[in-house]
Amino acid sequence: MTTTTTRARAAVRPVSPPRGLLLALLRLHRTALWFWLGLVAVAAAALLWALGPGADAAWAEYRGMGCDGGAPDLGCDLPGPAFFRYETTVTVVIGILFLLPTLTAAWAGGSLIGRELESGTAQFAWTQSVTPARWLAAKLAVPALLLVPGTLAITLLHRTLWTSDHHLMRVLAWRAWYDDGVFEANGVLATAHALAALALGVLSGVLLRRALPALGVAVAAMASLTSVLDDLRPHLWPTPPGTPSLMHKHPASHFWPLQLVETGIVMAVAALATATAFLVLRRRTGAAV
Amino acid sequence: MTDTAIEAAGLGRRFRRRRGPALDGCAFRLPAGSVCALTGPNGAGKSTLLALAAGLLRPTEGTITVLGTTPAAARERLAHVAQNKPLHPQLTVAGTLRLGRDLNPRRWDARAAERIVAEGDLDPDTKIRALSGGQRTRVALALALGKRPELLLLDEPMADLDPLARHQLTATLMADAADRGTTVVMSSHVVAELEGSCDHLLLLGSGRVRLAGPLDDLLAAHTLVTGRAGDALDPHTVVESRTTGRQLTAMVRPAGPLGDVLQGDRPSLEEVVLAHLRSPDAPPLLLDAREAAV
Repeated sequence: MTTTTTRARAAVRPVSPPRGLLLALLRLHRTALWFWLGLVAVAAAALLWALGPGADAAWAEYRGMGCDGGAPDLGCDLPGPAFFRYETTVTVVIGILFLLPTLTAAWAGGSLIGRELESGTAQFAWTQSVTPARWLAAKLAVPALLLVPGTLAITLLHRTLWTSDHHLMRVLAWRAWYDDGVFEANGVLATAHALAALALGVLSGVLLRRALPALGVAVAAMASLTSVLDDLRPHLWPTPPGTPSLMHKHPASHFWPLQLVETGIVMAVAALATATAFLVLRRRTGAAV
Repeated sequence: MTDTAIEAAGLGRRFRRRRGPALDGCAFRLPAGSVCALTGPNGAGKSTLLALAAGLLRPTEGTITVLGTTPAAARERLAHVAQNKPLHPQLTVAGTLRLGRDLNPRRWDARAAERIVAEGDLDPDTKIRALSGGQRTRVALALALGKRPELLLLDEPMADLDPLARHQLTATLMADAADRGTTVVMSSHVVAELEGSCDHLLLLGSGRVRLAGPLDDLLAAHTLVTGRAGDALDPHTVVESRTTGRQLTAMVRPAGPLGDVLQGDRPSLEEVVLAHLRSPDAPPLLLDAREAAV
């Protein structure tokens, strides 16, 4: 009797293998999942507010001060409280995008991989029916599939804001398209940075196998990458002849060439880190696939 | 289906951060269906051997074959419980069992796992971090048995358990293993803990196999002799000999009849193991089950 019930239970497969692993990962990292969803919601809500009521109030204030008449007026350079709220909101969103790679690298190195290898829960998974390579693939795929749409949604909203409220953003807030924060938030670069941070964090976790050292090295690696890229950025596309390689010497039409070249570099770093992580894990465990 | 559960040939594993190898030139064969005690002093390589068999580590030398294939290919058919019983502290007991189901979709027996948890009076809604060491061991074993393994590798499984729970869980394990013909390898440095439940022995020392084979054959191969100081122990293989006053006590592997001078006694498992632990230079004795059966 026991055997038949066992067989009957076994015949009812509740989940398919890959889906089981993905669901398990979402449950294991649900704190990070909720944190990320919350962060995306806050950033999106802030940008939507800025696009609608925030911009309207700032414009109303601007007009109330008699500043849209065209006559030069020194008072128009000193924004009022409505503009201040608008400006702060946009700054917070750019700050979130700026911090995202650091947070991602720290989490990926420390919590996603390092802690699991340190405590042995990774090895626990590998002695279930999950190969180390599939485990690592899932550990990369699940966060990547959540990071990409979230970051893209924020950058799309920011881009909409940038194109529709250009006067508020550029004239009053003193922002230019080539500022580090604006440049990253307007294209695909913020997403690429987040993915590279994930890959570098995972590699650091796989290499160091301990949560805190992996967290530290992942953050340091991501910070170095960002700093190198910031220095490199103006050189990624030729400036007009006779001008030095500085961001503000690039015409605005260089936005996409510069974005795409840098995105390519960042994604190559991410791919390299990912491949190395798989190789290291395979060398250690000797498991084929 | 093969009749060999684990076979090692020239098996070695080095760690970069340690000077010597953790395992060195290990060769043994464990028949399917046996219950094997893996013992040896601290640092002998017990955990490394189990991790190699579980496909968690790659050997740096030699090969290990598990259930007729590589450990990686046998992953679904074996279970491994590590010494520190790693479980996710943030999950509940029920959540941990669900994790077992999700990670073993093709061979999960929820009933077997739930029964072991229920025997320990564990509330399914308790978080793993709130459990005692022994309760964690119980959950870890429930996961291992829920997988319905053909080979069960247990690293110091009973160390955290009180005597009653130890007795009860050992009985559950052994009954389950006997029912399904599961091969069990159980490491411990408490030899007495293993004697009642095991039929095979693997003794490691400094990364090498010191004793391997069916328990009864290993015991039969050794004799505890007493005599007077100065008595010759030739031609027997001496594992250990001690002289107290005028009395000689020795653990030998008799090469023939003992003769009139020496008195022989059948040693206990603990005596055989301790004699080998005290004399690291004693020659190893590897009895293959196939040869011994002849």
